[in-house]
Amino acid sequence: MSGKYKTPMLDELEKGPFPSFITEMKKATKISTTAEDALGQLEKSYQTKRGYWKHGGIVGVLGYGGGVIGRYSSLPDEFPGVAHYHTVRINQPSGFFYTSAALREICDIWDKYGSGMTNMHGSTGDLVLLGTTTDKLEAIFAEYSSRGWDLGSSGSAMRTPSCCVGPGRCEWACIDTLGLTYHLTQHFQDEMHRPAYPYKFKIKTAGCAVDCVAAIARADLSIIGTWKDDIQVDQAEVKAYADMGMNIQAEIAEMCPTECLKYDGGKITIDNKECTRCMHCIAKMTKALRPGKERGATILVGSKAPIVVGSLLSWVIVPFIKAEEPFEEVTELIENIIEWWDDNAKPRERIGELLEVKGMRPFLEAINVPPQPQQVREPRKDPFFFWTAADLEKK
Amino acid sequence: MALPQRQTDIGPPKFDKFLPPVIKENYGQWKYHEELSGGTMVHVAESGAKIWTVRCASPRLLSTETIREISDLADEFCGGYLRFTTRHNVEFLVSDESRLQPLVDKLTTMKYMIGGIGDRVSNIVHTQGWVHCHSACTDASGLVKAIMDDLADYFTHKVLPNKVRLAVACCVNMCGAVHCSDIAVVAVHRKVPKIDHANVTKMCEIPTTVGSCPTSAIRPNPKDKTITINEEKCMYCGNCFTVCPPIDIHDPEEDGVAIVVGGKVGSLRTDPKFSKLAIPFFYNEPPRWPKVVDAIRNILETYEKHAKKHERVGEWVERIGWERFFSLTGIEFTFQHIDDFTFMRDTMRTSAAFKY
Amino acid sequence: MEQEAIQELIYAYSEKMSGKKKLKEKDIIKKISADAELDKDVVKKALRAMIDVGKLMYSYGGGASSVEIPTEEYLREKGMIK
Repeated sequence: MSGKYKTPMLDELEKGPFPSFITEMKKATKISTTAEDALGQLEKSYQTKRGYWKHGGIVGVLGYGGGVIGRYSSLPDEFPGVAHYHTVRINQPSGFFYTSAALREICDIWDKYGSGMTNMHGSTGDLVLLGTTTDKLEAIFAEYSSRGWDLGSSGSAMRTPSCCVGPGRCEWACIDTLGLTYHLTQHFQDEMHRPAYPYKFKIKTAGCAVDCVAAIARADLSIIGTWKDDIQVDQAEVKAYADMGMNIQAEIAEMCPTECLKYDGGKITIDNKECTRCMHCIAKMTKALRPGKERGATILVGSKAPIVVGSLLSWVIVPFIKAEEPFEEVTELIENIIEWWDDNAKPRERIGELLEVKGMRPFLEAINVPPQPQQVREPRKDPFFFWTAADLEKK
Repeated sequence: MALPQRQTDIGPPKFDKFLPPVIKENYGQWKYHEELSGGTMVHVAESGAKIWTVRCASPRLLSTETIREISDLADEFCGGYLRFTTRHNVEFLVSDESRLQPLVDKLTTMKYMIGGIGDRVSNIVHTQGWVHCHSACTDASGLVKAIMDDLADYFTHKVLPNKVRLAVACCVNMCGAVHCSDIAVVAVHRKVPKIDHANVTKMCEIPTTVGSCPTSAIRPNPKDKTITINEEKCMYCGNCFTVCPPIDIHDPEEDGVAIVVGGKVGSLRTDPKFSKLAIPFFYNEPPRWPKVVDAIRNILETYEKHAKKHERVGEWVERIGWERFFSLTGIEFTFQHIDDFTFMRDTMRTSAAFKY
Repeated sequence: MEQEAIQELIYAYSEKMSGKKKLKEKDIIKKISADAELDKDVVKKALRAMIDVGKLMYSYGGGASSVEIPTEEYLREKGMIK
């Protein structure tokens, strides 16, 4: 067990009901002595209120330009075990499904070459292995890839696509999030492993508007499952909810944002053409209400965190597109979107930022999507707008 | 020992290898689900088949020892099947109802924290922090541990008006969804970075460094092959540090965290929303950041007391107005709350109707 | 043009720009395909073949990736030189 360094501040974080990451780091010291130095350096951070890691460096496996993030301590003499302490990103299975055998395989290899510490999972979705040295990277890659596990992504590349649990275990999934994510991951292998884009590009897929994978907030390309026809209603189950004490009038009808759902004390009726498919009623009355049967996806583009000029949420580009195996139509659309960005963006420019610079029109024309009111919250306010020569010819 | 032959561009294993038989048989055919407790639920298929889920918190940073322990539990109770959630929870997938209660009992004995389902606080999405990131100005894992210890009851059983999603980001790069969370913590700097000019000349591309600044505070200094920073324009985002390490943004005594509230990602009832600034600054107080923990509890309890059923934090605040949010929570309103970055025209009030 | 000849052009350009500008894969492909009047895919293939055997390598800094002539340290680690 741990003992090389005294860690009084970190020890405080082993108390309390929530599982402790410090306990986890201490467990890793049984696997690797380097985990001792990781603890020692972290205690120093807690004492002095600053981090001691340097910027990522140039490390990786031959032929790939991503998947490994170089990490070096700025105090290598004090904590030699973490002088080199790189991160390896392993591409997670869609929906984060595993078997115990698969997890043990991952652990066996990592115990042999690394610190014994992981992240389940990183923010993008990869399974993250924390802490190894440059000389082990080729061996780690050979061991994992020969058993069917590939590296994830980093740098100016397609980042590891990620999705919600979808049809694996959710009645609201309007598209096959798991199948589509696997398909896109395979389709973009080259773009994931060999960074040739202007900057990072993230794809996240959610099965419905609840968006359990935060696609609208955290992906350059957000795919959200939706439907076009009528919500399926089971009136017997509506009655059962009322019998159980649900105040359907207050909680469902009066909270419907478009007031398209009515409750007469016995039955629910929905004016489906006025419904925006927001999922409130369905999520609260899951036994009684279900999405319609004509299903597909809404494609949104552009979200990102605050760097550089403020956060963005994704914008609706294609209100409805079919997204069924073999996913040809949606794949072609995504390729066109990325091609426009790749051709036009400056280095380090995300697609949302590029759209703010260039405007929507050249983008929509390039990907051959017509202007539609579903794309905007409201039309422009000021009387400044462009006309092209072609526009003027339309008398 | 010889290494096995590497393969390239194979992608991840296909997910269907890891699906329990009941999921394979009922893939896309789920009919409804029911919450059985704060951390257990059952999904029922059109066929009548069922799968039970037991959700437990994880600290995200897991040792291989703990992953093996989780794997052993999955073997004992779930035929070896389990998954993780986008919020770093572990989900045991139980196909045999008779194994459900024994699993819950065993997890409870082993001090696993079961919960996070439904109108509760789920696990906190967070970033790497001092544990393993160069740009961190707080420790995400430590904050998460301190906050979740305090809010444990809201994870395991106490019910809120709607789900509450928390996030912690250890710098403004926000490798977590802080910008769209009900309540979130983001670490911030407050002082202009110190420049090591000799190393800027040696290590950095000047145009890239100039271009990295959102407020155009950085100008090239071609004579000395370095840059200058206009201190009046700098908003301490640290993006220059990301592209040019010799521009050191860290200042342990003046770095700390801000709290933002009212964001969401789902489209239910109202559009997805950005989080807005509630409290501009707390000093880093490791190991347990007591003032941050108290502030989050105050916001959560005020929401719990005043929000209508099914209102998210942001929806509640929009209904009552931000001026009421500040008076109900007792949070001080400061110059930092008024946007002077990019959104002033959208965020200033343009109406004579408001509350006191 | 033989792949080897294309690779010599790529290497010469990478060497020339070393320390001046961080080249992205696309910068190299654009430049060489224009100069030598070659199809971009042909240049890309030649470039990738160089990366696969360590004649060039992917580099990374400040969140963005580039292509560079490998350092000795990299070549030693990959067993390309003793």
